[in-house]
Amino acid sequence: MVDVTEMSMIQQLIYYMGQNGAYVWSQFLRHFLISIYGVVFASIVGIPIGFWLARHAKMADWAIGAANVIQTIPSLAMLSILMLGLGVGADTVVMTVFLYSLLPILKNTYAGVRNVDHSLLDAGKGMGMTRWQLTYKVELPLALSVIMAGIRNALVVAIGITAIGTFIGAGGLGDIITRGVNATDGGSIILAGTIPTAFMAIISDLFLGWLEKKVDPSNRTKK
Amino acid sequence: MKRIKTLGKTLFFTFTTLLLSACALPGIGGQAGEESISIAGLASTEGQIMAFMVEGMVEHYMDVDAQVVNNLGTSSMAHQAMVNGDVNITGVKYTGTSLTGDLGRDPITDPELAYDTVVELFAEEHQQKWFPTYGFANTYAFMVTRELAEEHDLETISDLEPIAGELRAGVDNSWMEREGDGYRAFLDTYEFDFQRVTPMQIGLVYDALQAGEMDIVLGYSTDGRIASYDLVVLEDDRQLFPPYDASPLASYEVLEAYPQLESIFLKMENTITNEQMQELNFAADNNLIEPKVVATQFLEENNYFEDKEPFLESANNEGGDTNG
Repeated sequence: MVDVTEMSMIQQLIYYMGQNGAYVWSQFLRHFLISIYGVVFASIVGIPIGFWLARHAKMADWAIGAANVIQTIPSLAMLSILMLGLGVGADTVVMTVFLYSLLPILKNTYAGVRNVDHSLLDAGKGMGMTRWQLTYKVELPLALSVIMAGIRNALVVAIGITAIGTFIGAGGLGDIITRGVNATDGGSIILAGTIPTAFMAIISDLFLGWLEKKVDPSNRTKK
Repeated sequence: MKRIKTLGKTLFFTFTTLLLSACALPGIGGQAGEESISIAGLASTEGQIMAFMVEGMVEHYMDVDAQVVNNLGTSSMAHQAMVNGDVNITGVKYTGTSLTGDLGRDPITDPELAYDTVVELFAEEHQQKWFPTYGFANTYAFMVTRELAEEHDLETISDLEPIAGELRAGVDNSWMEREGDGYRAFLDTYEFDFQRVTPMQIGLVYDALQAGEMDIVLGYSTDGRIASYDLVVLEDDRQLFPPYDASPLASYEVLEAYPQLESIFLKMENTITNEQMQELNFAADNNLIEPKVVATQFLEENNYFEDKEPFLESANNEGGDTNG
């Protein structure tokens, strides 16, 4: 049997990963899925509402204000409140991520659509486009990179929130971090939980940043 | 504009119905419903190991996906989750804790009476079935080093009486003031005192004993360090401490939906001794192995108790062990 107390923290970390690699990987996937589900649902709801708000500027202040209020609730409090209604488990965390993701997605969709040049819309109208065609062929492509920036923002926040989800039994990398905190000599376990979490946030941020540039129409016209 | 509105509306309703119906999202499982098996795991290492052990057994013998809801801080939080229906199995419950905590009754020191009482009360008050014990009990226990035990031939707490006046004792902070099984109750029951009693944090007592700063300490009987430091647990011969026999607990609802569960829990009766639990806890606490991995390794070493009654057919390897 290996004596782990003799090892340095880095050696312990490597040993830990060797012993529990499959477990860490499964928690990594779970963590990622919980975050993604919340953000995807928020996009499904938030993007259409954002478009609608862009056309009803009076409602916009009110709706974005409401989303802002949600954002000010501390995530641990939000998880606990939702736990009362939805019970413990991963679904409650997905719901929390959904609520926090609404604001950045809503706000960016609204701003993106509002900033579309009016002359372009008029040109489209002049070409005989219907309202639906204008939305889908002019506004959406032009606003897409701004919307993507909102989703990117939301996902990075979501990964952080999911880590707290461990307190209501959702699993994910937060489980590993709490175990490390509770263990007598858990420094290496904490690292084994935090490094993948940070890694996940950075990689998703880079990937979505790349995607954001890719869909930016001003990049396309240059080529 | 109207189309957008209706589109938004449709999507919103699809989404809410999706969430409200608590339908399982692929990959992360859903909340407990009538169709799913959710197992509560506690924040303690032992509570997690046992929850994963149940999960492993269920997935080995039944063709269903069980789900561990981990890190439920305390036994009473797990109880609340059971009552709310968020989970339908608890990996490990202790007679003493549940009797005074979940059920709010007075402590009972006779192990059999305590067991019968929790079985009856959980069935009556919560429609939950308390199964026979796994075989280990996580109770307060006095322990000494092997040298001291051999030198004075110590086996029970009463054996300490002649030498107690020279012993330095290290005990859990909260034990000093506890009613019923605390320090005062100890003095009444055993009628002797130590040279000096030092309250300290429970996690430190094992090391204090090992380092020779204490001669006798009060710790938890399944702690992994007992095995690794080769400590001797003294028998509580006058039954000062209430029993904390460990058992699984399941709701009648889930047992009805999955009748096989019953035989799985009966299979696990008396399969884990205190010493084995100490080793499992030690692997997780000191050897950096995750509770889930510890549980899986233990089940594999024991071949998922396939050779133990009641015999069940494994769901994973068809035509496997059928010689029962």
